[in-house]
Amino acid sequence: MAPSESVASAAETGFPNGIHTLDRALADELWRACDAAQWGLTRDEFDQILLEAGTAQNFGLDELAAPVEAARKQQAEFFRGLRMGDLVLARACARGNERAWEHFVAVYRQPLTRAAIAITGSETLGRDLADQLYAELYGLNEREGQRRCPLVSYRGRGSLMGWLRTTLAQRHVDHYRRTRREEPIEEHDAPAPDPPPQTPGLELSLLERAIEQAIASRNAEDRYLLAAYYLDEQTLLEIGRVLDVHEATVSRRLRRAASEIRKQILRNLERSGMSRRAAEETMGAGLDALGGDFEVNLKKLLQHSQTEAFQEQAAS
Amino acid sequence: MSARSQHGFHPDAESLNAFAEQALEERERAEVFAHLAVCGRCRQVVALARAAADADMLKAPAPPRKTIAPNAWWRQWRLVWIPAAIVAAFGVASVSTHIWLVDRHERDFKIVAQNPTQGAAPASTPPATEQAEVVPPVSPAPAPPPAHAAKRAHPAEDKDLTAQSPGLGTTEAPSESGGIDQIEAARETPPLAQAEEQQSPPQSTMGVHGSAYSQPAAAAWEAKQKPAEEQSQAGVDTPRRRLAVAKAAPGTGSAPSANQPASQADTAAAVPSTLTATLLPATPAVSAALPSQRRGFLAIDRMHLPSGLAIVSSARSGSIVLAIDKAGTLFLSQDHGNTWERIDTQWTGRAVAVTQPFAVNGALQSAPAAQTGTAPETSANPGPAPPPPATFELFNDKNQAWVSTDGRIWTSK
Repeated sequence: MAPSESVASAAETGFPNGIHTLDRALADELWRACDAAQWGLTRDEFDQILLEAGTAQNFGLDELAAPVEAARKQQAEFFRGLRMGDLVLARACARGNERAWEHFVAVYRQPLTRAAIAITGSETLGRDLADQLYAELYGLNEREGQRRCPLVSYRGRGSLMGWLRTTLAQRHVDHYRRTRREEPIEEHDAPAPDPPPQTPGLELSLLERAIEQAIASRNAEDRYLLAAYYLDEQTLLEIGRVLDVHEATVSRRLRRAASEIRKQILRNLERSGMSRRAAEETMGAGLDALGGDFEVNLKKLLQHSQTEAFQEQAAS
Repeated sequence: MSARSQHGFHPDAESLNAFAEQALEERERAEVFAHLAVCGRCRQVVALARAAADADMLKAPAPPRKTIAPNAWWRQWRLVWIPAAIVAAFGVASVSTHIWLVDRHERDFKIVAQNPTQGAAPASTPPATEQAEVVPPVSPAPAPPPAHAAKRAHPAEDKDLTAQSPGLGTTEAPSESGGIDQIEAARETPPLAQAEEQQSPPQSTMGVHGSAYSQPAAAAWEAKQKPAEEQSQAGVDTPRRRLAVAKAAPGTGSAPSANQPASQADTAAAVPSTLTATLLPATPAVSAALPSQRRGFLAIDRMHLPSGLAIVSSARSGSIVLAIDKAGTLFLSQDHGNTWERIDTQWTGRAVAVTQPFAVNGALQSAPAAQTGTAPETSANPGPAPPPPATFELFNDKNQAWVSTDGRIWTSK
């Protein structure tokens, strides 16, 4: 089948006709680069996979903008930013291609199990988690008679192995949170909640508002750092790995964020009508009520403020 | 916002994975950051996925090692070859250098042995020019061989050596003006052996060299060199005096020390050939004034006694070399120091010095082989002295002397 015919036929399969069509030369180049024939994919199927992936992400164009025809350059840039080999394999597996599935099992089965064990911290739980996901990937689940494979949601922006790990982590966290809520309360040996601060009501409300505003004024990355470090108690190394920066950089950013939040709290208190001295006394009293140093108790401040700022951000 | 209600807003695994792998565009990354800032669940997902990736990286099985073919055993030693080759190359270079040096020394000795007289040296013989510097005059009009001739053998070394002042009253060329012609002229002089046969005293078997010089010539030459000798030798004792001083005041700086380098005060008059002078050691104090003898000192110094100890005193006559080591043992060599024979003790006390007393028809009397570290001296006898009764003299630590004509049998003097 000629590339042009395949593209034309792909365009007729429910996609916004006339909006996106694959450039033939680019499709040929990708076909050769992916060596998709080794999975037994036909050129038609390959073109359809390309079109699905491109259309789902609007070829990297602004999704809010009106659909426009992606130029060849835009298409090429978009596809070259994807992991086309992983994407084609995942789509071939999702389509039930046996050869692709055999390859997937040979390459990803063991790493999948190792990742599950690492995530759960348990050999048994890890294997259970991996088997469960493996069954899902194989498409044992069906909806309305159709085989459902999570690999369809893979769009090739990251590695397939990373996607599998993230999927495992999602399932594990969701399972943990669900089962944790189902545990009896008596089994929890949670510490007694902190007594409410004894500061006067007006000052406390002003302090809370100042903290919320200060945290909300920080950018998303700073808030993520503060939350990951103070709330999740992740280590600098763990945060640094996620952000792909050195742990010293994380430490520096955290110190700067905490310092600026402190200054911002004071400014917010002054803005609410307090003098500088009164603001410092209020913040000091609040910290004393929380017990100690500002940075040490930032976690408590964050918890005490109930992260309403976070909630506002999430709601927005 | 409960976890359940948040679920619909969570980024999917694709976005979270792309975020963790830094594969998101800036806009999407900011959105995910904003979500992660408020969503503990997604932060946990990202952190767990990242931790699993790191753990997988550490626990991933190592790639299978390539099987080494049976006939490729040497591949296992690949890392050893390079240092082994370096060590081998260094060893070969060291051995080659050592062999070259030994060969060079042997050649020097052979030159001495094959050229008992300069005049008899064949034209093809390597020029013994450096030794010519210390050759005393052999004719009424002594024309010391030009120093620059020595440059043919060791140009750089001889240049600065010959520039030094003459010492020991021996044979230092007064100038370099003679050049090669003078050397050739010196070679044409009758062999010293003939002169020795004519003029040496009958009882002298080895100390005949002094007779190679005619008395008038030697006297004239000595008279010429005497002021310089006296000037350079001022304050220098004879070995006997030094021994006496050492005996009287042991531990003083003037006492001979076994640790000091060996020296020999053979004068050029006692040398059978001009080449021999190169092998005659000079004491440090004199060697500065006798550059050519400094080379002789080095030659003696490089000899190795069977005892392995350093030479503290030595004397030479022709191919016969006598040496006393630090333990006071006397060794005899009849082949220029290549092989050594230990001489049984025939004297009392400890041998400390061996000399080759001689006389050039009484004009010169040798200084005994200087004790190491002390300035040797070549005392100039004011008057003619009788020919030496023996070739070698040996002194013990009590300043008693023994004499021997062959170095083997010693009799008390």
